[in-house]
Amino acid sequence: MIHGSPRNPILALPEIFRVTVRQLLGRRRTLLLLLLAALPLLLALVFRLFDRIDVQRFSNSVFDGVLIAIVLPLTAVLFGTGAFGAELDEGTALYLLAKPLPRWAVVLSKAMAAAALTLLLTVGSILAGALVEVIPAGEVGVRATEAYVGATVVGGLCYVAVFVAVSMFTRRALVIGIGYTLIWEGLLSSMLPGIANLSIRQYALGAGDWFVQLGREPARLPPETAVVLSVVVVVSALVLATWRLMRFELSGGAD
Amino acid sequence: MSAGNPAASSPAGSIYDLGYRHYEGKRRGRWFAAWSLYVDSLRGIWGFGRPTSAKAAPFILAGLYALPAVIVLAFSSIISNSIATGATNPADLPNYANYFAGIGTFIVLFLIAQAPEVVCRDQRYQVLPLYFTRAIDRFDYAMARLLSLATALFLVLMVPVIALFIGDILMSADAFKAIGSEWPKALPSIPSNLLIAASVASIALALSSYSPRRAYAAVGVLAYFLLVEFVPLVIYGIGHEAGAKWVDYLPLITPNTGLSRATDWFFGTPIPPDFPSSIGAGAYVLAGLVSTLLFTGILAWRYRRIAA
Amino acid sequence: MTTAPVANSPAVDIAAQAPAIELVNVARWYGNVVAVNDITFSLGPGITGLLGPNGAGKTTLLHMLAGFLAPSAGTVRVLGLSPSRDPSVYRRIGLVPERESVYGFLTGFEYVRFNARLQGMRDADAASRVAIERVGLQDAADRAIGTYSKGMRQRAKVAGALVHDPQVLLLDEPFNGMDPRQRLAMMDLLGEMAAAGRTILFSSHILEEVERIGTEILVMVAGRLAASGDFRAIRALMTDRPHMITIRSSDDRRLATILIAHPAVFAVELQQNAVSVQTAHLSAFRRIIAEASLRAGVRLIEVSPADESLESVFDYLVHR
Repeated sequence: MIHGSPRNPILALPEIFRVTVRQLLGRRRTLLLLLLAALPLLLALVFRLFDRIDVQRFSNSVFDGVLIAIVLPLTAVLFGTGAFGAELDEGTALYLLAKPLPRWAVVLSKAMAAAALTLLLTVGSILAGALVEVIPAGEVGVRATEAYVGATVVGGLCYVAVFVAVSMFTRRALVIGIGYTLIWEGLLSSMLPGIANLSIRQYALGAGDWFVQLGREPARLPPETAVVLSVVVVVSALVLATWRLMRFELSGGAD
Repeated sequence: MSAGNPAASSPAGSIYDLGYRHYEGKRRGRWFAAWSLYVDSLRGIWGFGRPTSAKAAPFILAGLYALPAVIVLAFSSIISNSIATGATNPADLPNYANYFAGIGTFIVLFLIAQAPEVVCRDQRYQVLPLYFTRAIDRFDYAMARLLSLATALFLVLMVPVIALFIGDILMSADAFKAIGSEWPKALPSIPSNLLIAASVASIALALSSYSPRRAYAAVGVLAYFLLVEFVPLVIYGIGHEAGAKWVDYLPLITPNTGLSRATDWFFGTPIPPDFPSSIGAGAYVLAGLVSTLLFTGILAWRYRRIAA
Repeated sequence: MTTAPVANSPAVDIAAQAPAIELVNVARWYGNVVAVNDITFSLGPGITGLLGPNGAGKTTLLHMLAGFLAPSAGTVRVLGLSPSRDPSVYRRIGLVPERESVYGFLTGFEYVRFNARLQGMRDADAASRVAIERVGLQDAADRAIGTYSKGMRQRAKVAGALVHDPQVLLLDEPFNGMDPRQRLAMMDLLGEMAAAGRTILFSSHILEEVERIGTEILVMVAGRLAASGDFRAIRALMTDRPHMITIRSSDDRRLATILIAHPAVFAVELQQNAVSVQTAHLSAFRRIIAEASLRAGVRLIEVSPADESLESVFDYLVHR
């Protein structure tokens, strides 16, 4: 227009990304997440305290049982629902939406910011734990670390995409996300093996098997299937979020 | 538009008696105020006096906790014969003694949903000063809120107990004799559930009181119940194998598992073999009491310091 | 600011022919509540004040214009496009929402530049500096918005909305929280933009704000358009309205017969336990009523003017 011809909307992505990252790094929330992310390191130190280097056991109980089962979904739910949900809550979403940007660009940049923070925290957490306890075991340890980093990345991307999408549909996204994590991913997916095809945690672990068999009782999902399903989840969640944002309406009654 | 207002054009100011009346009656004081707050929070937890949507979460979650009891009743009426012949081990089915240990996760869910409900709004909407200028003081406020949550939890915990109790009586041939024999079996549920309710309510409320936003409070409560449950058990497992003695104390601090073992003490059930043999069931009861006191203290401290 | 007339792209030529803002039979309801009811108007360049009591549907109307609500019926066009379907129209719309929320962690400058960059502006930094200057926030530009006063936040929001020099500027209660001096400055700014051919629509529930800047006004009451046109003409109609006074006395009927004889009294109506009087002059009437009651030996129990709030003025407009 006056200040130049329309530019590629992709150029707006880094701007939204930057602002979202600053938005998400609120004080108390980040502190809680840092505390959670420090757990693998803490537990690794405990293992070393007892002079144990036990890749299998540490990965199963800490990487799988704590990080992928608890810390990863919690981090993703906080960042994923916060990325757009906080803007809706506080009313700043209007500034973002009153711009000549295609809606997919808004969704994508929000999701990328949430995913970047989630992965930074969780992958960092795995590496910290692995450096102390797993990698010293040698080749096996390195492979296991790769596997869990891979699983975390896949799981993190899926969780974030899903939670970003959920936050477009409801203001109670965080509570719903927690309920889903606990009941579906936590309780049901371990009780009912049939859920493996519909559980992000299983996709993550399945994808991790790509690098090395994670040593669980027969892997529930073959790695190829897990990766394909993850891509389907991420893409459809982002498409759904975009679709919803295109039909965005301010909620609330008359005035 | 002040020109049209006769009061604005009158020469001097005046005060109008608009007919408000002063309250001349008796005032019932601090205890009644605290009691009112207690009753109000208890109603709030169940969504009474709020829209239907506010009733959904507490009733669904309480229902989920009670659901297995109902299922067990249905099942046991069918398979009671096979139990009699020893085909199934009746101890595996949920009963008074092992109910919480098996299904306690739903209590955590109930807490995540309802504990922030009790304390967060008052901070978010900055209405605490309104309470503190009334007959109650900060401590009364915290205790009334805590007791209401504990009461609500106790109700949730007792529903399946009562369901099992009634079911067992109705299924027996002689109802009156059954009451006599069931009663002593069910009785320990009362003290053990009181301990559970007080302990987890104090934890959840103390943590929730640190955030004005319900969602973050929920995450905090969840993180506590997952991690303090899990981490000590992992450390215990590894330390026990390594022959360390001090790790025997770790299971004491777990919220759900610890309270499950405390329940064992009330029912006189032996402690499962994967727990340290050096720690008796009584120690878990003590740990539950200490934790309750500790978190009640944290809650009271929070409200002593909170800006209002 | 480089306010070259917008006339060098074909899309703008089309827009220049259509009215900047056009609503045809627009309605919006939420469930059973009708917020905006069958409104039709169109606006060209200049300032228009959208006036109405709280809850009249002003915000709903502005949100429909800004594309955040789709009309339940009718069509909304801004610069010839439907804003709820086509985000590209935001290139030429600036929006100042009512809620005070801003990104508190950004500085004023960063916030304005954020808006400029999302508008895809080539020299976002320079444009942001100009916009900051226009709202007079230079001194606070490098402070976090979280530390701003209400009026400063409001100005930061305006700067963010006009940084891309929009053709249409929509402002919801823009003067909230501003002190009188800031209001005047803001009014001047809006006036300048209007003089440069921009279309500006702002809402307010305070008559005096509108009186000062709005040459054209739209009055909404209970979701409907109650009046539109030149402010002074409508205002004259409003003051023309007689004052309503309700009187309770020991003998209403007797008092009424005496009052009706006075030329300053337009109408007297006997009601149950009260008499309601319409008069043009309040001060004169106060003398009259005292005299009359004394003469007739009637004891006055209550003399109260009927509600003179803005809302009742609007009521008058609607029920006229």
